[in-house]
Amino acid sequence: MSATVIEGRPNSGTLEESYLGDGFSLRSWLLTTDHKRIAILYLASITAFFFIGGAAAALVRYNLMVPEGMIPSAETYNRLFTMHGVVMVWFFLVPAVPVTLGNFIVPLMLGARDLAFPRLNLFSWYLFMLGGIVVLYSLFTGGVDTGWTFYTPLATTYAKGHVVATVVGIFISGFSSIATGLNFIVTIHRLRAPGMTWFRMPVFLWSLYATSAILVLATPVLAMTLLLLAFERLFHIGVFDPAMGGDPLLFQHLFWFYSHPAVYIMILPGFGIVSEIVPAFSRKPLFGYSFVVWASIGIAVISFLVWGHHMFVAGTSLFSALVFSILSYMVAVPSAIKVFNWIGTMHKGFIRFDAPMLYALGFIGLFTMGGLTGLFVAALAADVHLTQTYFVVAHFHYVMVGGMVSAFFAGLHYWWPKITGRMYPEMWGRAGALIIFIGFHLTFFPQFVLGYLGMPRRYHSYPPEFQVLNVLSSAGATILAVGYLLPLAYLTWSLFRGERAPANPWEATGLEWKTPSPPPTYNFAVTPEVDRAPYSYSPPTPQAPL
Amino acid sequence: MNETVLPREFQYSSSRHQSQTAISGMWLFLASEMLFFGVLFLSWIFCRHWNMAGFDTGAQQTSLVAGTINTVLLLTSSATYTGGARQIEAGNVRGLIRLCALTGLLGLAFLAVKIGYEWRDDFSKHLFPGSGFALAGPARAGAQMFFVFYFVATALHSLHMLVGLGLLAWIIWRARRGAFSAEYSTPVAVVGLYWSFVDMVWVVLYPLIYLIGRTPTQ
Amino acid sequence: MSRILLTWLALIALLALELGISFLPLGPAVRPLILIPALAMLAVILVSFMQVRRGPVIVRLFAAAGFLWLLILLALGSLDPLTRAVYPVTAPVP
Repeated sequence: MSATVIEGRPNSGTLEESYLGDGFSLRSWLLTTDHKRIAILYLASITAFFFIGGAAAALVRYNLMVPEGMIPSAETYNRLFTMHGVVMVWFFLVPAVPVTLGNFIVPLMLGARDLAFPRLNLFSWYLFMLGGIVVLYSLFTGGVDTGWTFYTPLATTYAKGHVVATVVGIFISGFSSIATGLNFIVTIHRLRAPGMTWFRMPVFLWSLYATSAILVLATPVLAMTLLLLAFERLFHIGVFDPAMGGDPLLFQHLFWFYSHPAVYIMILPGFGIVSEIVPAFSRKPLFGYSFVVWASIGIAVISFLVWGHHMFVAGTSLFSALVFSILSYMVAVPSAIKVFNWIGTMHKGFIRFDAPMLYALGFIGLFTMGGLTGLFVAALAADVHLTQTYFVVAHFHYVMVGGMVSAFFAGLHYWWPKITGRMYPEMWGRAGALIIFIGFHLTFFPQFVLGYLGMPRRYHSYPPEFQVLNVLSSAGATILAVGYLLPLAYLTWSLFRGERAPANPWEATGLEWKTPSPPPTYNFAVTPEVDRAPYSYSPPTPQAPL
Repeated sequence: MNETVLPREFQYSSSRHQSQTAISGMWLFLASEMLFFGVLFLSWIFCRHWNMAGFDTGAQQTSLVAGTINTVLLLTSSATYTGGARQIEAGNVRGLIRLCALTGLLGLAFLAVKIGYEWRDDFSKHLFPGSGFALAGPARAGAQMFFVFYFVATALHSLHMLVGLGLLAWIIWRARRGAFSAEYSTPVAVVGLYWSFVDMVWVVLYPLIYLIGRTPTQ
Repeated sequence: MSRILLTWLALIALLALELGISFLPLGPAVRPLILIPALAMLAVILVSFMQVRRGPVIVRLFAAAGFLWLLILLALGSLDPLTRAVYPVTAPVP
């Protein structure tokens, strides 16, 4: 089935009757409490942040084209990769899926009229924007050179630059995260449609629930840690300074207690998206639904037990390093289970290679590679060699970019008809997915080799023997950039010229497909009732061919 | 119930549904606050572990009397607020307002002792961390670290108290305008949860600051 | 009324117990046990003032999650400093 209008099925819903037509003033957007409009506000914001972080990445890869560094100043280079990390982690990856696709789809998927706390939702966007503006101000007036991890004593004592302003911006945005997570958890508990028991919920909801648990429990630790960091820098309180009786590892423990679960905040929604798309485009129920559900919960819990694997060479005790290493192997298991479940879903399915599915397949491949390489660095002995090299950089980009960004694009394309009422141009969509997949490998696979060969990360220059691999990586980055700019272009185009979308262009299951595209402000004219398990797909028949 | 229907109520199936959801939301927020203060507790563990003698020397400079009085004040304030919530559940608005005001007074008394007496005393004794720190010798680093913990923790706790006082004032203001009745007093319950939580944080801070570092001869 | 008064009396009694224990000659490494009556006070406040046993199930779920995760932070976080091999400082301390 192609992605155009289905024969004989009329377009349902007009723009004027939808949430998009419910007020055209700036006030009606900036003071909205409609979860769908708030999702659009967030979508605009995180897109802007994505391209700002991407621009920084482009300059990083530009610098690394020659061994001595194209950018004359090492300090500038350090500020660029710091800006890239800070913006991408806190203003793109952590919020992206929850605040855009989550905000839009969760109430629809639950059969609810809105989230539990709509005004809190709007407030969270303002907090996000305030934090973002503070960070951008600090980054564009010189920035910081500490890396996004702000290790002490560099960040507290020796770094020149706007450390305090940057952490204040992140601190503020953290409360936006907590608010979003709190809203989702309470909504999923309290606002499910009649008949939607926990085990009839689509996996996307379970994934966002698990994500929200991490948001609520991990982010406060980051907030307090950044506060202590700011106090240390401003007032030299000494809590991280050994000369004053403090412990620099205390900072690292506290920082990673948040930041490791944070990477699962980034990836869990992606798991959820893929779990929606693969059944829909294989015309088969999700294989092992309850395994996928429990794996999501397991990941959320175990993710809090592994943070020490970022500190294997920092000076922690060998005993605690061993404990963290063993726990890190355990956290890989539920993720692997999910991969097997997706493959099991596709097995003997009727697969369509529309753009969402191409992105989802790209996710499965790239995430698996990233996840497996995580096991390399989770091994204590191997990590001594690989840590702080490009191997780690490649590992986390495979999971976060190859994985998460692909999943985000997959979800964006999958739900684009629902959100905007328009179809994107399918061939361009497939082209984009392919370009991203190829560009991604070219950019980051050489980095595994570079890391193994010993090239350190966060270095402005490098020995000449590494140049070929670096040039390959930078060339790949150019292709990747094209792959990211393409959707920006054709998705924007589709807003004005795309085919009008029907309510359910993919013939997917799920309550969100039972409302018009785009939905009216009140979501459902009649509260839907659920009487079956999710993913009740059946193979195509002569009467209902693909 | 009409006067208490909130304009956003459309997503709920009943007012009880909404009320229980609000209470659940506050509990979840309090769970996040536990992790927020948890950072301070872990910092206490680290700092005391690496500087035990000096840290405890610092603790011995605190006023046990002031700390204990403050603990009694806060525990009592939780009791009075709970009494006020009980009153409005029975329909007694005046009782709610009185007990709420009493709670606020107890909270103000706490802040008066903490900031007006203890902090002033600590400043005059040069116990504020920095170059003018009073204690010298091998205990200096640990004692100073104790006072870093002390000031950061009590400042953050006091900030939460101030927010609590603001919430109490809001409850009193709404009660006087007739917002609450025997059928509807959800904000009263929600604020009560927050107030008792701030009390709980103090219950943990009290031994960390005033008791553990002391030696029996004190 | 009397339930609240009884709760208050229990809290004061636990406070007195805590204070009393703090006057015992416990070694510095053992003194954190003074926190045990404090934990009991937390339980009393949770049950009696905050009514954690009333209300929907998720109230207990959220409260338990908060405590469990706090425990993870404190326990797994303390593991490192408590098991670190500390090498003596050879350079003079300023």
